[in-house]
Amino acid sequence: MIDMAQEMTKSLPVQQFVPEQTIQCYLDSLLQDAAQELALAEQQTQELAPPVQLEVAPVVVPAEPEPELEQELLVEAEVALSTDAEHVPPVFEQVAWREEPFEALLFDVGGLTLAVPLVSLGSIYPLEDEITPLFGQPDWFLGILPTQAGNLKVLDTARWVMPERYDPALRDGLRFVISVQGYDWGMAVHGVSKSIRLTPEQVKWRSQQGKRPWLAGTVIEHMCALLDVSALATLISAPGARALANSR
Amino acid sequence: MKNTAAQGAEDPILQWVTFRLDNETYGINVMQVQEVLRHTEIAPVPGAPAYVLGIINLRGNVVTVIDTRQRFGLGSAPITDNTRIVIIEADKQVVGILVDSVAEVVYLRQSEIETAPNVGTDESAKFIQGVCNKNNELLILVDLEKMMTEDEWAELQGF
Repeated sequence: MIDMAQEMTKSLPVQQFVPEQTIQCYLDSLLQDAAQELALAEQQTQELAPPVQLEVAPVVVPAEPEPELEQELLVEAEVALSTDAEHVPPVFEQVAWREEPFEALLFDVGGLTLAVPLVSLGSIYPLEDEITPLFGQPDWFLGILPTQAGNLKVLDTARWVMPERYDPALRDGLRFVISVQGYDWGMAVHGVSKSIRLTPEQVKWRSQQGKRPWLAGTVIEHMCALLDVSALATLISAPGARALANSR
Repeated sequence: MKNTAAQGAEDPILQWVTFRLDNETYGINVMQVQEVLRHTEIAPVPGAPAYVLGIINLRGNVVTVIDTRQRFGLGSAPITDNTRIVIIEADKQVVGILVDSVAEVVYLRQSEIETAPNVGTDESAKFIQGVCNKNNELLILVDLEKMMTEDEWAELQGF
């Protein structure tokens, strides 16, 4: 096991498996997704905000309304509120680290730079020991890595994060497994780079309702995608992962 | 003494016969293993399912031999001096399973066995009863009963 602090201070060589253009294209698509979601969320908020104010106001300050009118207004207010609750895009889970400046670890997966909040990480294990594959498992499940902390189920991060650009040759260059805090899962990666400090404003946050719930957002300044590894671990640990695996 | 006995009841020690397939080590419950044979001529059975290699004559009894590699979704491998046929009893039938080699008998406490990951999409994932670290090696424990479906076990009786 590698000490995280020590590991973060040195930059490890990264093998470039995927042409830069492809990586740029992928990152662009992530950024585009995030921008579209943000625009959609703003649009919906603008559309839905007025009815709440208009309908609720009369109920709060009743100027001696006629009984029937009062009843109508109450019903309208309730309808407006319930409609509002159904249509406003659900706010992603408020996790403490999203609200304040946080440290994140940069690492490389098939040439793509990913960032993960340090609070979500466990340990970094060099891939010296062989990962034991299990038959009958989805292709994104590499197998089991025995560690001092117990057996770690290892995710083929590249295959999960960019399945459409996955090259089987990527599997040969895996060098580390980063375990996820609180889960018996780890992510196989090609290189570990350094830690950076991010402020919430630097991140283009993303709703979790998209097709990539594990993507917390993107950081344009560092040209990287910020992962929500807890969401990722929850996703792959859930029974639904089977269906998800089938659809990938 | 009482404590030891109580501990044994709560956390029984189980014996597993380990064998190798495609460089991985698998374990099967020793109580289901009848004997281990060196590779012998396996007579193919026309029309048999793909997972049936054929039949052998075991002291006058016909025993069906299952292609374990095929069953586990692994590629085929040449027969070597280490190849063995493990005669097992599962689903009230005696069958043979062809393996690359047989390693040893290991003792595992029930508590040492971890459940297998529940992400498998393939039918064969159901065979995995659990995993366990032993001698710096990961053992994959196989549930022989689940190696075949009920229909397949019934089909085997026809040979």
